[in-house]
Amino acid sequence: MREIDQYSESDLPDFCRKPTVVLGIGNILFGDDGFGCAVVDYVEAHYPVPEAVCLLDAGTGVRKLLFTLCLSPARPERLLILDAIDAGRSPGEIFEIDPAEIPPVKLDDFSMHQLPTSNLLRELQETCGVEVRVLACQTGPLPEEISQGLSKAVGDAVPQAAEWLVRKYFPCATAPQADLCPSA
Amino acid sequence: MAKTLVIQPVTRIEGHAKVTIQLNDAGNVDTARVNVIELRGFEKFCLGRPVEDLPRITPRICGVCPWSHHLASAKACDAVFGVEPPPAGKKLRELCNSIAYMEEHILHFYFLAGADFLLGPDADYSIRNVIGVLQAAPDVARKVVKVRHMCAHMLEVLAGKAIHPQAAVPGGFSKPLAPAERDQLRKNADEALELAKFSIAFAKENVFPKYLEVVKSLGVITTGFLGTVKENGALNLYDGKLRLMTSKGAYQDFPYDRYTEFLSEHIESWSYLKFPYAKQWGEGFSMDVENPKGVYRANTLARINVCEFIDTPLAQAELEEFRAKFGRPAQLTLLYHWARLIELLYNAENAIRLLDDPEITSTETRVKVTPRAARGVGCTEAPRGTLIHDYTTDANGLVTNVNLIVGTTHNNAPINMSVTQAAKSLIKDGKYDQGVLNTVEMSIRAYDPCFSCATHRLDGKLSVKLDIFDADGKLLGSLAN
Repeated sequence: MREIDQYSESDLPDFCRKPTVVLGIGNILFGDDGFGCAVVDYVEAHYPVPEAVCLLDAGTGVRKLLFTLCLSPARPERLLILDAIDAGRSPGEIFEIDPAEIPPVKLDDFSMHQLPTSNLLRELQETCGVEVRVLACQTGPLPEEISQGLSKAVGDAVPQAAEWLVRKYFPCATAPQADLCPSA
Repeated sequence: MAKTLVIQPVTRIEGHAKVTIQLNDAGNVDTARVNVIELRGFEKFCLGRPVEDLPRITPRICGVCPWSHHLASAKACDAVFGVEPPPAGKKLRELCNSIAYMEEHILHFYFLAGADFLLGPDADYSIRNVIGVLQAAPDVARKVVKVRHMCAHMLEVLAGKAIHPQAAVPGGFSKPLAPAERDQLRKNADEALELAKFSIAFAKENVFPKYLEVVKSLGVITTGFLGTVKENGALNLYDGKLRLMTSKGAYQDFPYDRYTEFLSEHIESWSYLKFPYAKQWGEGFSMDVENPKGVYRANTLARINVCEFIDTPLAQAELEEFRAKFGRPAQLTLLYHWARLIELLYNAENAIRLLDDPEITSTETRVKVTPRAARGVGCTEAPRGTLIHDYTTDANGLVTNVNLIVGTTHNNAPINMSVTQAAKSLIKDGKYDQGVLNTVEMSIRAYDPCFSCATHRLDGKLSVKLDIFDADGKLLGSLAN
């Protein structure tokens, strides 16, 4: 086989190369499932994204990204997943999850859409040395039929989640419209 | 007492499913069913919307095969509006299709099915996953990840974005390909071809011989096949006519907008997923493994079976070798993996052919469309099987009816038959272990099912229900969520 395995780091996508990766996941056509994507949209509209951070609306395509990430020669130091889940809390409540804390028996029926990447997230953290966190938002009642748009409770949580994300993951950017961190 | 085993979830397939195997008093398999538990509901969601929105909406059905839905939807819109895209528009769509196929087939062979083949079905569950593949074959994994990334990058160049594409529009393709971009993609396509050649050679040397006995015995059923061919009978994955082949190899061709004359859908109370069957054969529907009726299969093996030939040289050579070994139509379920690699090679060659076509950089990539009341059917071969989008609009171009038949749906009956066959052959006298159960799952993964796409009639509730019966038909218990 010709030497197609010789490639530089610049051949890798941003989500492999940057130190911090933030993925908003979910389906915007599935009600509150679009929470993660909405937070990404909100952050892009209201905050400068530091050069060291890869912020992506991965939508329903997150599995592909994580497969590539698992196998990549370069990986981020920190990975944050923004997702909507049903964990029996109050609708709109935001909370952090460590993938290692997800009980094994619940790995694949964890949420309204079965937090589709749970095994991969665990493998990334435990085997690949990536610090993985999930920022989850409790969904409202499941829609009777597929419908677009967030419920009020979950929609109200979007700015709050965005601010939390920026404080914790964006070096130097602490408020809306802050300047880009020059050294990031 | 009769006992029910449950394997849930079937990991490493897209979406989620549950396998229920019922044992009889003797401890042998009585029935085995694949229950689909994830629901969508996009058909109803689409009603009342401008039809030109559907190529942007339907890729959201699933993040795994967005390009197939995107292109089938754009083709259905072409038919609704009564337009024919310019040659460059069609070729850009087909190029995107071939690249998306490569990304998909590489993912499936190396990382979804690959864990079974590279690590073995008896390997400990904790390592029989993508990381296990990486550790078992790091050099191969490195090559693979680069080409997968490259395919995603090629789609970004062609369409602006790889996830949730929007470039195919009613009447053509929204973004012409610049000559400089073509030159860059041509180099990428060369590298993809190298990986495709490596993959099939690697599999023929290291994988298929090792598992030949499994291939010959696991999930073996006898069915007909459905796939798309060009007018001259050549394999095509973007456009052509549908070919419905019986298990004996006789076939009928028909335009895809006449699919309702040839195919119908059976419903079972225990599954939200319908069971399409060949109405045209006039024998009804039965999933009896020994004597199936109306059952056909789609996906890679089906396409490799129904085509007369492949019009790219390397893939054609592989097809000839495949047919010399297994005949036509080949029936062994695990040959889906072999057929998948032939298609990988075809798509790499096809991408190069399209990029070498001077017409691919024409700036005439779309024509204007005007709303009208009409019905339009679009069809492509998705990686998991024939994908049909069927739209009807009113005079304002608003959607009044939608029907989607996705690839996995075509394979619903065969998947259940293969699981039944596999379970019966592997579980005897009540004896089983984790390796046996995973081998049953292998027969499902051969079809590369995407259940999240396939279940699209939404009633609002998750459909997880488990009924436990004894050998006398008495209900022992019922579990539901």
